[in-house]
Amino acid sequence: MTGSIPLKKSRDNIEDAANAALLMSVFIGVWQIIFMLGIWPQISLPSPAMVAQTFAKIILNGSLPQSIGVTMARLLGAFAVSITLGTLIGFTMIKFKGFGKTLNSFSAGLLSFPSIAWVPFSILLIGFDEFGIMFVVVMSSIFSIMISTYSSIRNIPTIYIDAAKNMGAKGILLFRHVTIPAAMPSLIIGLRQAWSFAWHAIIGAEILMSIVGLGHILSVGREFLDMSQVIASMVTIFAIGLLVDRFVLQKLEDKIRRKWGLDNHR
Amino acid sequence: MTKLQAKNIVKHFDHNGNSVVALDGINLDVEEGDFVCIVGPSGCGKSTFLNIVAGLEKPDSGEILLNGNPISTPGPDRTMVFQEGALFPWLKVIDNVEFGLKMAGIPKDQRREISRRYLDMMQLTKFADSYIYQLSTGMKQRVAIARALAMDPEILLMDEPFAALDSQTRDLLLVELQLIWERTKKTIIFVTHNISESVILGNKVEVFKNRPSKIKKEILIDYRRPRLAEDENLQKYYHQILDELKSEVIARTKDEAQ
Repeated sequence: MTGSIPLKKSRDNIEDAANAALLMSVFIGVWQIIFMLGIWPQISLPSPAMVAQTFAKIILNGSLPQSIGVTMARLLGAFAVSITLGTLIGFTMIKFKGFGKTLNSFSAGLLSFPSIAWVPFSILLIGFDEFGIMFVVVMSSIFSIMISTYSSIRNIPTIYIDAAKNMGAKGILLFRHVTIPAAMPSLIIGLRQAWSFAWHAIIGAEILMSIVGLGHILSVGREFLDMSQVIASMVTIFAIGLLVDRFVLQKLEDKIRRKWGLDNHR
Repeated sequence: MTKLQAKNIVKHFDHNGNSVVALDGINLDVEEGDFVCIVGPSGCGKSTFLNIVAGLEKPDSGEILLNGNPISTPGPDRTMVFQEGALFPWLKVIDNVEFGLKMAGIPKDQRREISRRYLDMMQLTKFADSYIYQLSTGMKQRVAIARALAMDPEILLMDEPFAALDSQTRDLLLVELQLIWERTKKTIIFVTHNISESVILGNKVEVFKNRPSKIKKEILIDYRRPRLAEDENLQKYYHQILDELKSEVIARTKDEAQ
């Protein structure tokens, strides 16, 4: 039972990587062919090599690393606020049932509210600054955290709570040692969703509100008709989104699901 | 000495807007060191009764006395072994066994010592650091028993703990449980729908009557231990209980057909 699983896993990983490489080469190949057909002028559709050159340029002159740094700092700051406040409100929703139910339907409505639509409100309320951008990110992700905290805790199998009470757990001890870990597999799914909302929001807000950051270099590319920079920024945004989701959040979720015994048949 | 007394326990349930009597005046005296089995058809309210004893549900009227004192909340003096799925998957086996001790604020060294002792008793020492999903169903129930015993409860409550096991594993655990009972001298209330289980384990078997639920008959079984499933001398008790239950099952089937 042991031995063979890690082996199978590493084989799966190699296969995944090979598939990804294949997909990427096909994509770049098709792009190169379309470029050579000359349907669009070079200024509208540069070749893969030209984009690679721009990539090298903005990495070497420091503008790309700096933009990534600024964007991630804003995002992590805002996301931390979102998680802290969202979780606390979620707990309050559990504590006061009527309030929880009402706020839950209200938040579900706001879940589908486009993040970009918070921008004008944020500009007028707070202004064109860091806090304005972070406000948009918080508003775009906090409802997802609230709903997920509320529903994760409500859906805990009652047998865990019964068993814990039966062994003398109550109050804060019950909450810390049973409620939170029992809700964890579901909480992490909410966290992933909130992260994706936050990521949408930060790029949108930076395009409209910022003078630095990934969203900003994207919109600078447009202003200077520099399609290479637009594509290079898009690729960066895509890559970071993918890396964080696949290699941080998905990994965390898999680990929790495996340990909680939810994924052992695959 | 009377360990636990149930006095006229009544409980109603709301079923599609109608009030259904789940327990209609249960009276039961459990003596210190008794092994009481409650047997009855499914849906007869025996698990509800056990939950009331555990303090997880409240009766509409009547009271439960433990050592003469009324109880109303769950407490570590009455630990329960559930049918299945009550172990915490986020904790290792040993941490599951220690959970109640941790809640009671017992220091770590002492907790480890106690939990090791019960893991050893249940032959689980090798699996102390495993997670729950790595265990078979039978091992899981042994962990659940170790977890309940580690609290050193006044009474051990068991709610069909072997119902999900294959028959070989169950036969093995039926013997183990009798040995543990003799060793620890614990008072046990064991709920089951399986007549053989009740005959093998109980020195008192309470036959539950269906809707409204009452105790129909108490059967005393004074027979050497450990009793084995294949022991033919137990047959007469088996049939005695079966006769009591037959009419109940028939009544129940009629009830459901209407």
